Amino acid sequence: MLRYLLIRAGQGLLVLFGVSAIVFFSLFLTGDPAAVMMPPDATTAEIASFRHAMGFDQPIWIQYLRFLGHALTGHFGDSLRYQQPALSLLLQRIPATALLALTALAWSSLFGFVFGIIAALRQNSALDLTIRVVSLLGQAVPVFWLGLLMIIVFSLRHHWLPSSGMGTAAQLVMPSLSLGAYYFAAITRLVRASLIEALGQDYVRTARAKGLSEWRITVRHALRNALIPVVTVQGMYFASLMGGALITEIIFAWPGVGRLAVEAIQTRDFTVVQATVLFSALLFVVVNFLVDIAYVWLNPRIRL
Amino acid sequence: MQADLIVACILLVVAFGTCILVPLFWPLDPVRGVFSATFKPPMSFAGGHLHPLGTDQLGRDLLARLGLGTAISLGIVFVASVISAVLGTVLGMIAGYFGGWVDALIMRLVDMQLAIPFILLILLIVAVIGPSLMNLIVVLGITGWAIYARVARARTLEVRELEYIESARAIGQRKLFILFRHVLPNILVPQTVLLTLDLPRLIILEASVGFLGLGVQPPTPTLGGLIGEGRSFMLIANWLVLYPGLMIAALVIACNLLGDWLVRRNDLREL
Repeated sequence: MLRYLLIRAGQGLLVLFGVSAIVFFSLFLTGDPAAVMMPPDATTAEIASFRHAMGFDQPIWIQYLRFLGHALTGHFGDSLRYQQPALSLLLQRIPATALLALTALAWSSLFGFVFGIIAALRQNSALDLTIRVVSLLGQAVPVFWLGLLMIIVFSLRHHWLPSSGMGTAAQLVMPSLSLGAYYFAAITRLVRASLIEALGQDYVRTARAKGLSEWRITVRHALRNALIPVVTVQGMYFASLMGGALITEIIFAWPGVGRLAVEAIQTRDFTVVQATVLFSALLFVVVNFLVDIAYVWLNPRIRL
Repeated sequence: MQADLIVACILLVVAFGTCILVPLFWPLDPVRGVFSATFKPPMSFAGGHLHPLGTDQLGRDLLARLGLGTAISLGIVFVASVISAVLGTVLGMIAGYFGGWVDALIMRLVDMQLAIPFILLILLIVAVIGPSLMNLIVVLGITGWAIYARVARARTLEVRELEYIESARAIGQRKLFILFRHVLPNILVPQTVLLTLDLPRLIILEASVGFLGLGVQPPTPTLGGLIGEGRSFMLIANWLVLYPGLMIAALVIACNLLGDWLVRRNDLREL
């Protein structure tokens, strides 16, 4: 088991290494990173002096090694727009994104589990059908469209909720609802499907034959095994949650990491973009490692 | 569940009908507007023309723009997903068949792809190389091959142990010939189903990039671009946001239902 986890950790490090290369070399796609990073109206002399200041005139592998060394110590260079270290800009924005993402994660997994279990236990009833339709819709509607729709209905038409900003609980409602919708739908569908499958297994029949209560069978025997596929895909859903956070923050003017990244891309502030991409990759690798640990704990077969 | 299939077909007919028939036969210009006809609500007349979905801030007919926008977005998505599928299938087969360090290398690349929030990477690359139609297709295409590679590899691992592959090896056929002649036909069906299941992701991704203004540039309409533009006028003209979003939802629901149906029909639980 320790061996399995060590291998996974090693793979995670490799992934980060690769992402750092992608992030670094993407600036060289047009051949001249100095021209890419400078504003379009910069003169040739300005670009040349900037190129020298950034070290872009040195051999590319030396530049990459230096970038890697700096990234390991958290130095991504200064933001050209804010004249501040990119990392400190990033760190300032993390609490806002964490608040949004955790709220979305909390309501969507809680309700996802509850509705998934209800749908599985009452398979093919009217309730089940309703839940299936809702979760199908939840996965089909783009985050940004749902967000805008809620703004139209709840802010513009009825003035119930504020459409932007952060600070009060009311301002958290719509962003977290629209961000969690996809996740909620995905969890509901997955819990329903895997619980239905688990309830059809032999060990559930055995448990029933032993005369255990239906509650105990569902929770102790079926649900525990139904959790395995749910946990496995958490890592992949987490990536889509981060992508969704980016869009949600733009729509609701939420001052988080996603908005920082998009604004940095739009203003060609590439040191900030590099820092954000590497940070989200790091977060992703850590979350996936935690998922691996949970997977080992849930599935005794790997522990051998 | 035949009902799923029927719903999927109806939605697909509506979507494809709009994106094929409207650009071909609808008389109003999707790019040039009439200034006397700005912000007309749906089903209103202006200048002797009916605007079934209303008009936008430049007096352009929304139905004409939605038709062309859907065609362009779907075109991008289809070409990009074929690129992903071909790339992923070839790499996955190679990884599964040859094993060893080739396998390890390709699978680490897969992990890497799954580890970056796609949208950030795509935005970064598009910002560097510029948001043209071609660039968008290439970037979406080469960032989405990971899941195809995973499935192709798993299938190849199963198939290569079968007896007829062994006999092909025994009579001295070349490895590449075996891969494309004997292994590939076995994984075509799951890969096609996977493509259907992956389309919704790409549709939403393309729309998100367009929404953020880094997709195909205006005045050319795309599904996401329409919503992004309409967002500024939500207070006075919510139809500009409403209908493009409904189109995206219809496409995604149709692909999801169709994909699930194909999975059940072909008994492909592992997808």
